[in-house]
Amino acid sequence: MQHAQPSSSHSGGGPIRQPNRHEDLEFPYCPDSNKYEKLAKIGQGTFGEVFKARDRKTKQVVAMKKVLMENEKEGFPITALREIKILQLLKNENVVNLIEICRTKATPYNRFKSTFYLIFEFCEHDLAGLLSNVNVKFSLGEIKKVMQQLLNGLYYIHTNNILHRDMKAANILITKAGVLKMADFGLARALSHITKYTNRVVTLWYRPPELLLGERNYGSPIDIWGAGCIMAEMWTRSPIMQGKTEQHQLTLISQLCGSIKPEVWPGCDKLELYSKLEIPDGHKRKVKERLKPYVKDQYALDLLDKLLCLDPSRRIDSDTALNHDFFWEDPAPQDLSRMLSQHSTSMFEFLAPPRRLNNYRPAMPPQAKHQPNMDQHFERVF
Amino acid sequence: MAGNFWQSSHFQQWLLDRQDLDRERQADLKIMNEEGYEKCMIFFANFIQALGEQLKVRQQVIATATVYFKRFYARNSLKCIDPWLMAPTCIFLASKVEEFGVISNSRLITTCQTVVKNKFSHAYPQEYPYRITNVLECEFYLLEMMDCCLVVYHPYRPLVQYVSDISSTDDSILPLAWRIVNDSLRTDVSLLYPPYLIALSALHIACVIQQKDLKQWFAELSVDMDKILEITRQILHLYDLWRAYDEKKEIAAVLQNMPKPKTSPSPPPQTQGQENTNQQQT
Repeated sequence: MQHAQPSSSHSGGGPIRQPNRHEDLEFPYCPDSNKYEKLAKIGQGTFGEVFKARDRKTKQVVAMKKVLMENEKEGFPITALREIKILQLLKNENVVNLIEICRTKATPYNRFKSTFYLIFEFCEHDLAGLLSNVNVKFSLGEIKKVMQQLLNGLYYIHTNNILHRDMKAANILITKAGVLKMADFGLARALSHITKYTNRVVTLWYRPPELLLGERNYGSPIDIWGAGCIMAEMWTRSPIMQGKTEQHQLTLISQLCGSIKPEVWPGCDKLELYSKLEIPDGHKRKVKERLKPYVKDQYALDLLDKLLCLDPSRRIDSDTALNHDFFWEDPAPQDLSRMLSQHSTSMFEFLAPPRRLNNYRPAMPPQAKHQPNMDQHFERVF
Repeated sequence: MAGNFWQSSHFQQWLLDRQDLDRERQADLKIMNEEGYEKCMIFFANFIQALGEQLKVRQQVIATATVYFKRFYARNSLKCIDPWLMAPTCIFLASKVEEFGVISNSRLITTCQTVVKNKFSHAYPQEYPYRITNVLECEFYLLEMMDCCLVVYHPYRPLVQYVSDISSTDDSILPLAWRIVNDSLRTDVSLLYPPYLIALSALHIACVIQQKDLKQWFAELSVDMDKILEITRQILHLYDLWRAYDEKKEIAAVLQNMPKPKTSPSPPPQTQGQENTNQQQT
């Protein structure tokens, strides 16, 4: 092995100071990542790659999420710090469990910077992967079980004042025993009353109207909207509103949920972008009507209608949703383990062929004012 | 941050006991006496405070940074990493964790240079030696050593709640108790006791100073008054120490005795430094 050159970053002149690291500096706290053996790459999180791995000693299978040091100036990434502190706080059956944090040893070869890994319990599938496989069929009872667990997870994180801010099918993991786990808290944040948050969160297709209109003082209803999108997807099998731009997304929402106006959503006209974006006029609310061909169950349609409510202050909350008749009328929520036992391979979106349009995740959403051909997509939304 | 203290890593991993702390400190106390060690820790808490004020971060960030600093040296000798480097690293990390944002690299280092030059030249006459690469590297050590336990609970929030519960017309109690909590960061109590007890102790001291009788209120709390008195003693010990000593005059001598890394803070010949580090890592 070649010898590492004396750190080139010091060549810029100025006094060279060896950071005072020393013989007696040992860290028995974070275990060495070597205790896990990587098996396969299974995904790409907000801040790094995810691997399936196995504990060499106990043989426990885990998911290892690498902390990507993209911006060197930032030091340890703030997204990773958030995910760590939020997951250390959240311990719930329906939230992915952070087992520990590992690191590689610091050596001259990595310029004394170790790589950190978050170690999670392993889940065999994600919801996007399951939905993209035509052989996976969910019964009504099983859909109820998925939604019940999802809303239960949301209830738990929201009562702990945490917003997930990136609800989408690919972030919903399901173990082979049929237990749902919310994952990827890289965009999550603790709620406080003073801060104004960025509205550049949530993958576009799952982004609620208040974020599209520039609301910066949002709350738990943004995750509920995502839960509504995911619920509809349980029947449609692909995301229900696949906008290409923020303007386009807003148009798709208006076509499904009706025009956005103060009569149905008091105060919406006060939002920053209401006057700047084109707000499609004259659309009637058609949530139930448009979803009826896919969703036969009346209670399901009613709950969907309440989850996809334009006005965030009147959108149903997770607690009320869990008491909805949907979960209490026949058929009862049904365990997923039987159905999943018929499938022996893992299904992850990362490994599955793309569903419909390419995955679209705008880093810097275009400033588009006009979106031509919008009506052409109208028929093909689902 | 939201959440439940009793389920937190702060409660589960980072409430140490006195014996534990003394044991870890043994090595350093062979080199300097206990009072010198205390003065060192007070001094660097002041340094963190000065950096934080100059950077205009919230007190919450300063408090978290100070606790990080104390956690590191609760488990490591002062000679492991130069506290002059650890102090800004703690501010840098705490600012991100407390959602105050990333402090710009150049601003952090410039601030260190300015603060050292303007306020601490009596203790550190040279130019501030560290670069941002040192801070970023040190951040990793800090994170590892804390086992990534990032969320620190402080006495401020419970203090505000207690004061509003007392619903006193006397509004001098809260600011006074608040300052006592700030001062308590210069003692070991944040490593030893849950924040609500520290809040109660600060409140207790404030009431004594203001000659306000809250015996009844404290009696109804059904908390362990012995613990509160232990904390109170440690805070009062700090005030005694402060009263009897002139930091500006004496600190240079104290820092002189501080255990130091074997490689001196002045630049070692580079090849030699490189060899050392290679050896230790293999």
